[in-house]
Amino acid sequence: MNEKNGKRTICIRGIAVLISIVAISVCIFMFLTHIRGFREVADADSYDKYYVMITKDSKSSFWQSVYQGAYRRGLEENAYVDLLGENLSEDYSREDLMRIAISSGVDGIFVESDESGELTELIDEAVDRDIPVVTLYGDNTHSKRCSFVGVGSYNLGREYGRQVLKIAEEQKKEKSEEKGEIQVAVLTNAYTMNSGQNIIYSGIQDAIEQEKTEDIDFSVSYITVDDTNTFSVEESIRDIFMEERLPDIIICLNELNTTCVYQAVVDYNRVGQISILGYYDSDTIINAIDRNVVNATFSIDTEQMGGFCVEALTEYYLLGNTSQYFTADVTLIDKSNVAQYLEGGDEDEN
Amino acid sequence: MKMRINPKKLSLQEKMSCVFILANMLVFLVTLLLFTGINSMFREIDMVYEDNMHLNELSDALTAVQDSMTDYLNAKTSDSLEEFYRNEQTYTEMVEGLNDEIAGTAFLRMERSIRHMSREYLDVVGQTIEAKRGRNVEKYRVRYENATQMYGYINTYINSLNNERFRNNSENYSRLSDAFRRFETISILVLTVVIVGNVILIIRFTGGMIRPLKGLATSADEVAKGNFNVELIPVAAEDEIGIVTKAFNQMVVSIRQYIERLRQSMEIQQSLKEKELMMEAHLKDAQLKYLQAQINPHFLFNTLNAGAQLAMMEEADRTYDYVQNVAEFFRYNVKKGNETVTVREEIELVDNYIYILNVRFSGEIHYKKQIDEGVLSVRMPGMILQPIVENCINHGIREMEGRGKIWLSVYQEDDFVCISVKDNGRGISTENIEKILNGSYRQEKHPGSSNGIGMDNVIARLKLYSEMDDVMSIYSEGKDMGTEFVIYLKKKEEGEPYHVQDHAG
Repeated sequence: MNEKNGKRTICIRGIAVLISIVAISVCIFMFLTHIRGFREVADADSYDKYYVMITKDSKSSFWQSVYQGAYRRGLEENAYVDLLGENLSEDYSREDLMRIAISSGVDGIFVESDESGELTELIDEAVDRDIPVVTLYGDNTHSKRCSFVGVGSYNLGREYGRQVLKIAEEQKKEKSEEKGEIQVAVLTNAYTMNSGQNIIYSGIQDAIEQEKTEDIDFSVSYITVDDTNTFSVEESIRDIFMEERLPDIIICLNELNTTCVYQAVVDYNRVGQISILGYYDSDTIINAIDRNVVNATFSIDTEQMGGFCVEALTEYYLLGNTSQYFTADVTLIDKSNVAQYLEGGDEDEN
Repeated sequence: MKMRINPKKLSLQEKMSCVFILANMLVFLVTLLLFTGINSMFREIDMVYEDNMHLNELSDALTAVQDSMTDYLNAKTSDSLEEFYRNEQTYTEMVEGLNDEIAGTAFLRMERSIRHMSREYLDVVGQTIEAKRGRNVEKYRVRYENATQMYGYINTYINSLNNERFRNNSENYSRLSDAFRRFETISILVLTVVIVGNVILIIRFTGGMIRPLKGLATSADEVAKGNFNVELIPVAAEDEIGIVTKAFNQMVVSIRQYIERLRQSMEIQQSLKEKELMMEAHLKDAQLKYLQAQINPHFLFNTLNAGAQLAMMEEADRTYDYVQNVAEFFRYNVKKGNETVTVREEIELVDNYIYILNVRFSGEIHYKKQIDEGVLSVRMPGMILQPIVENCINHGIREMEGRGKIWLSVYQEDDFVCISVKDNGRGISTENIEKILNGSYRQEKHPGSSNGIGMDNVIARLKLYSEMDDVMSIYSEGKDMGTEFVIYLKKKEEGEPYHVQDHAG
C-alpha cells in the first residue's frame, strides 16, 4: 500500500515537472511568436485592383472624406485605393503624381481635375497605357477619361441663387429704406479653371433672373482668388476685405475659401454685414452656421462621391465602358437644420 | 528485454546523484529554454532594421545606375558602359525581389510601385543608352530627362518607404526592447520559481531518503539507553540505510534473545542453588535425628531411673545421687530436645554434667558459678552451654589432673545477656579461634567424640535464633592460659515468641 502510494507520488511529481517544463516552453514560444508579430506586417491581404486618388489638397477633410468613401467601396470590390502622395517625403504636383501613378502600374486613377492641357495629356497617356482615369470633382472634358464624378454644378448654382434671393429678401425687410443693388461675389479660383465653377456661376445667375420676385437689383460678379501659391488663397481673400466696397453676399465654392472667408469676417468684425454662402460641411463651417456667421452651406455626400469613383472603374472593367457622369447628392445646411449636423459632425469626428 | 531501474534497489549515492542530476537538468533545461528565447529575441532585434538596410542598398544601386548612365552619356567610354550594364543587372535583380502584390499594407504597395516604376525607369534608361549609341542626340536628351525625372520619383518613393519603415521599425524596436526587458524579468522569475521548486524537490527527496536514518538514530538512542523493547524499523529500500536498518533490527532481536537465554540460565542456577541448600538442610536434619536416635533418651532415662531405685533400696545414697543426676541429664534431652529453654535450665544441665564428670573423674574439675539471678528466665536454644562446657573439659582441662577449673558466669551487658564459660586449660590458638567461629574447624574434628553437638552447630543455632552475627566470642590469651567462651543473647523472657522454631523443627 505504502509502496504503491510512493510510486504514485513519484509519478505525480514527474508529471508535474514535465507539465511545468512544457508550460514554460509554450509560454516562451508564444511570447516569441508575439514578438515576431511586431516585425511582420499585420495586414497581408492581397487585392485584385489597385487604384490611386490624386487631389490637390489631400489633407483637407473634404478630400479625406472622399478618399474614405472610395477606400471603403474599394474594399468591397477587393480593390485597394491609395491617396497618392500622402506618405511621400516630397510634395508633388498633380501632374507629377499622375506620372508616378502611370509608371507604377496602377489599375485606375481618380484625379481631381481641371481643364488644363497638361492634365489632358497625362490622362490621355494613362488611358493609352490601359489605365482608366476618372476625373473627380472637376472635369477634364477634352481628355479620354472614362468617367466624371462630381456634384451637379448647375443645380448647385441654382440652389446658391435661391439662397441669395432668400438672403436679399431678409435684408430688405430689415433695412427697407436703403436702396441699391445687392452685390453678390462669387469666389473663383484663378488657376484651376474649373469648368464646374462656370456652371455654378451660370446656375446662380439663372436662378436669380428667373426666380426674382421683387424689384431688387443684383450684381453678380467673380472675385478671383489666387490659388497659384501654397498660401495665396488666404492672402487674396484678406485682400477683398481691404477694399472699400464690400460685397453683401459672398459665395464660396470650396471648403478652404469658405473657412478663410469665415475667419476674415470674424477678424474684420463684419459679422452680420456680409452674408456667406459656404461650401462643404466641415466642423468649422457647421459651427460657423451655428454661430450665425455663415448663412448656409452645402453638404456634399463625399463618401458617395468616393464610392462612385470605384463603382465607375468596376463597371469599366466589367463592361468595357461606364457612365460618363456621376453626381453626388448635395444637401443644404442652414440655421434650421444645422443642429442635426452638429451632432452628426460630432459622430463623424468620433 | 525491458531495462527497468528499480528505485528501491539503488544505493544511497546513486539515489542522491539521481536527484541532483535531475534537479540540475531541470535548471539546465529551463535556462536553455530561456537562452533560446533571449537568443531569438536578439535575432528579432537584429532584424528590425534589416528592411532599412535593404532599402538603402536599393537606393545605392539605383543611384549607381543613374550615375553610370550619366557617365556614359558624358564620356561614352566603354568602361562606363560596362559599369552601367553591371549596375543595371544588380538593380534589376534587386527590383525582382520586391513585392508585386496589391497588399493591404502601405509598405508592400509602395514596394510594388517602386518595382513598376523601376522597370519603366530601366526601360527608359536602356532606350537612352541605345539613343546615345545611335548618336540620336535629340532623343537621348529627352529620354535622359525622362529617366532623371523617374529617378527622382523612385528615389522619393524609396526614401519615403525608408522613412516609414524606419519609423515603424523604431516603434517595433522600442516595443521589442520593452518586451525584452519584460522577458528578462519573466526569465528571472521563472528561474527563481524553478530553483525554489528544485530546492523543495531536493529537500523532499533527500528527506524521504534520510527519514529511515532518523528512525534508526532514534531507535539506536533508545537501545543505548537500555530499552531493548524498541519497535523494529521497517526496511523501506535496499540501500545502505536499508542494510544498516536490517543489521540493527537483527542486532536488537539477537540482544533480546541473548537476554532471554541469560535470564533462563540464571533462573535454573538459582533453583539449583536452592535445591542444594535444601539438601544440606535435610541432610543436617537427618544427621541430627540420627545422633539423637543414637542416645535414645527414653530408654536411658528409664534404665537410669531403675538404677536409682535400686540404689535407694540398697541405701547407697551416693550411687542414688549419681544415677539421679545422670537421669536428670538425659531427661533434659528427652524433654527439651527441640525446644527453647531458659538460661536456668541450661545452667542446671551444666551442673548435672559437671557433677557426672566429677563422679567419673573423682572430683578433678573445679566448677564455679557466678549468676545474675535476674536473667535466669531469659530464653535461649537448648543444648548450647553443655556442648561448650564439654568442649572446655575435653580440649582444655582433660589432662590437667585435678587442677582444671571451670568458671561459669551470667551477666547483663547493655541489652544483651552474656554467658561466659571459662577454663584454665591449654588455650586455643588465634588461628583455631577463627576457624571455630566461621565453622571450618569441624571437618578436622571427629564427630561423635562427644555428645555429638559440635561448636559449629552451637554457633549456627545461636545465629539463627538471635538473627545476628556476633553471637559468640572466644578469648584465649595463649598456650596454657585458658579459654573463655562468651555467648550473647537477646533478652527474651519466657512466653515471648521466638523465631527459630521453624528452623529448629
